[in-house]
Amino acid sequence: MSKIKIAGALLLSWVVALGAAVGPAHDLILCVTFRVPGGLTATALPLPLPPCGFHQRGADNRFTHFGPNYPRFNNLARDPRDPRVLYAASLNGVLCSTDGGESWRIGTSWDMTEPRDVCIDPHAPDHIYLALPDGIAVSNDRGLTWPRREIGLPRRGKYMQAVKVDRAQAGRVLAGCESGIYLTENGAQSWRRVFSTQATTTDLQQSPHDAQLWLATTQSDGALRSRDGGLTWEKIAGVPAAAALYNIAFDATNARRYAVASWTYGILTTEDGGETWSERNAGLPAPHRVFRLGIDPDNGRLYAGVYEAAVYESLDFGRTWRSAGFEHSVVYNFVFLPRFVNTPALAHLP
Amino acid sequence: MIARRLLIASFALGCAVVSSAQPAFVGPAPARTILPTPELQRAAYLARIDEILAWRSSQAKPGELFPEMTMIATKLALHQDAELCSRSVIQLMKTPASGPFWMFPTVNVAFLGRDQLSLEARQAIRKAWSREMQMRGDTENHWAMYYTSLYLMAELYPNEPGSSWYSGKSSADNLAEAKEYLIDWMNLATTVGQGEFNPTHYIGEYAIPMLYLATWAKDPAMRLRGKMTLDWIFADLAENTLNGVLHGANARTDDVSVIERGKALASFFSWVLFGNVPPIISYGGWGLYFATVAKNYELPEVIYRIAVDRPSDYVQRDFKRTRRRWRNSDVLMAPIYKTNYTRRDYAVGSYQGGLADPIQTHVWDVTWDVRDPRGVHNTMFSMHPVSSSYDLQTYFSELPDQMAKEVTKEGKASYDSPDKFLGGSRFEQVFQDLDTVIALYDIPVGTRFPHINGFFSKDLVQLTVDPSGWIFAQGGSCYLAYRPLAAYQLRPVALIKSSMTGERASLGDQQLFSPHLKNGTIVQAAAVSEFKDFAAFQAAIRALPLSFQLVTKPTVTFQTLRGKVVTCTFGAAPIVNGQPFDYTTWKLFEGPYLNAEKGSGRLTITHGALERILDFKTLSITDRVKP
Repeated sequence: MSKIKIAGALLLSWVVALGAAVGPAHDLILCVTFRVPGGLTATALPLPLPPCGFHQRGADNRFTHFGPNYPRFNNLARDPRDPRVLYAASLNGVLCSTDGGESWRIGTSWDMTEPRDVCIDPHAPDHIYLALPDGIAVSNDRGLTWPRREIGLPRRGKYMQAVKVDRAQAGRVLAGCESGIYLTENGAQSWRRVFSTQATTTDLQQSPHDAQLWLATTQSDGALRSRDGGLTWEKIAGVPAAAALYNIAFDATNARRYAVASWTYGILTTEDGGETWSERNAGLPAPHRVFRLGIDPDNGRLYAGVYEAAVYESLDFGRTWRSAGFEHSVVYNFVFLPRFVNTPALAHLP
Repeated sequence: MIARRLLIASFALGCAVVSSAQPAFVGPAPARTILPTPELQRAAYLARIDEILAWRSSQAKPGELFPEMTMIATKLALHQDAELCSRSVIQLMKTPASGPFWMFPTVNVAFLGRDQLSLEARQAIRKAWSREMQMRGDTENHWAMYYTSLYLMAELYPNEPGSSWYSGKSSADNLAEAKEYLIDWMNLATTVGQGEFNPTHYIGEYAIPMLYLATWAKDPAMRLRGKMTLDWIFADLAENTLNGVLHGANARTDDVSVIERGKALASFFSWVLFGNVPPIISYGGWGLYFATVAKNYELPEVIYRIAVDRPSDYVQRDFKRTRRRWRNSDVLMAPIYKTNYTRRDYAVGSYQGGLADPIQTHVWDVTWDVRDPRGVHNTMFSMHPVSSSYDLQTYFSELPDQMAKEVTKEGKASYDSPDKFLGGSRFEQVFQDLDTVIALYDIPVGTRFPHINGFFSKDLVQLTVDPSGWIFAQGGSCYLAYRPLAAYQLRPVALIKSSMTGERASLGDQQLFSPHLKNGTIVQAAAVSEFKDFAAFQAAIRALPLSFQLVTKPTVTFQTLRGKVVTCTFGAAPIVNGQPFDYTTWKLFEGPYLNAEKGSGRLTITHGALERILDFKTLSITDRVKP
């Protein structure tokens, strides 16, 4: 394990160093679907819409679709050792690709549906975690098999919306479930609850600046912060908790900046490490139903996916916004993946 | 609650054909003749199938490509125009859709065209299954269609590598996965209970793939499983129809079928199988996909007779289950205790309340018989209209806020409407004894739509608001007494004409609107023939002892017309003649026609001396004529 860890760390640092020299260090991939304005009508057929699925930002800042024209991807993970190896959480289950998204295989079987999230342990990239509506499956063989690993999860209340690996420790994983936040420190051999919630934990994020610092959003308990690697959690006082929060992000360019997305509150940001928060909805279309946000780790650019409206971007952390296209879309995720610069980011791109 | 594309495919399927003169649809209602022999029954069944195929075939425009799959399937079933079918298939396969609603029609054409389509056309189908990622869906009926389709295609194209399938799995892997799912689902349905039970439309989503499995599976065991499941579905349909009209309760229905009970895809199946009700327009669209293969199914006489030959009133009690609950529940699938009391002139059906499905549940009703159900709103019930992200999240793996908005655009237009008549509620508790229904409501403060809706049909006659508190009416040959337990208004209501578009029409129906959180309804039905006149029925109802209070927990004690003293308290077990009513002893099926023990996988279908046993444990069908 230690050899893998060291090799992974070396590889990552090499990739990041090369990336810094030639351009963005991260690829941005949107998991997106498009909707007919005003709903379904017979006259709306056939649908004049772009393909759904993955849209990747290229060097010219334009987006290119790749993979299947498929309406529901919740997340995409990439093997840190090999840019061609991808895992997508989709309606069908997990889709696996070994050729950079040219072809896919449904990795799970009939008994797993609608995974909500997928992540790879960077220290053990053969280990992939899949959040399911009824628990979790873990592959230890690069997606060939997906046994459930649910010891310690409750019989009910294990609906899982988010799963994230602690980059500081192999096999240490946090999971956002209906009944709270769960932690494993042994690669999902066993779980324990570290925080109880009334309803689903919608997102979990680890600070790129401080591996001990984690943030979470919930449907019922507002935004949460952990300063001890997810062992204990506290509510973030300045974030409203009366309505559901959808996701949260750190700004990799500024350790004191985070942002929260919410259908009800729109975009909330802090620039002082969570002490004070501001609504940053001026310039977003009303009602500012933000379904998902993302922060570009290369430059701090803030993206907001406004439900069935468009994607908006802000260069000043939410003070002003401009359209970034994707009209009539629903963005399920802004995925930023460390870029491999010695090979094409994905095989389909020129 | 999945991608819009899936829904669009389904919608396109339903709209695939347009109306023109369909003999059975525009003609008089079928005679209620019981065909005495299996030979006559079979001949009539085949004649109805021929009618469908002839009608659809006649709509082809000379010289033009066939625009969609029902026409191609029809032509192939009739062994006509193979060359045009091939060219049409090639054209359609250039833009394959995704999901089970595209998959099973394609399977239909692929199999019917095995010996008729050109090599190029067959390769076009095969290529589409290679390159277009197929959505699996998120619902039991999606999976029945998806896995049956995948199973059959994997058998049709064996020994092919994963690179030649959209799934990335080899023929053998696809086949194994599909088979495993189908067997698991059949085991679940026949031991724990059916999920989407007695659906007014979704019966097609089950019956059509099972017919295909029964017809085309190479594996004789899977063929037999398909046939047995079809028998199971159709026996359940027969038992729950009143002269071909499927009544409540229904795990899933829609805004139209819940009111105009005969306007349901289930009526197509009653018509084609039993010949006792008119089919719906265009044979429901879906009916065409059944018809192209229907001659391969032989309806057992015992099921036919259950549908058309009821010598006496009967009570049937069934055990079903809810849709899977991902959240907000102690159980993955909650039990459903379903009661059906059917008489010559009406049927009363119910389950105990709650949500079998988050959007389209119909918990109870009285449905009365009409000679011709077309255009008739032959039903009475009350319900609590629910629009709740909490309830949607119970069943869907989605974030909370967009769902109510989304479902209204996905074929459930009424979901967020306060005057809808479709749906169940966690705040409704129902008890039925024969033709008495007591529905209690305990709706928390702050609930969206804090009222109940009672449906009063335009087709009721002698509607009388009585000083006693009862509302009396007559529907067909059924007398109805409806007792609201809280203050209400009767007001005109425009009904939804299409669950897809939400378009409404005022036809003369009324909504009983009762804006009280603690509430209740008692309905007592009786046959007109039981009383000298309407006044005598009213007098009998007024004389029935009734007491209730709504202040804390709604509680009713009522002596039914049939002499039982029933006490219902919201949140507690009903008490009948002093004894708590025990649902835990219920079997999977129990009644004069259908019987099965929980966990048995074994359904005994009985009518008179006729008996068929479907045994999924031994994978056998046993017929006998009892001495």
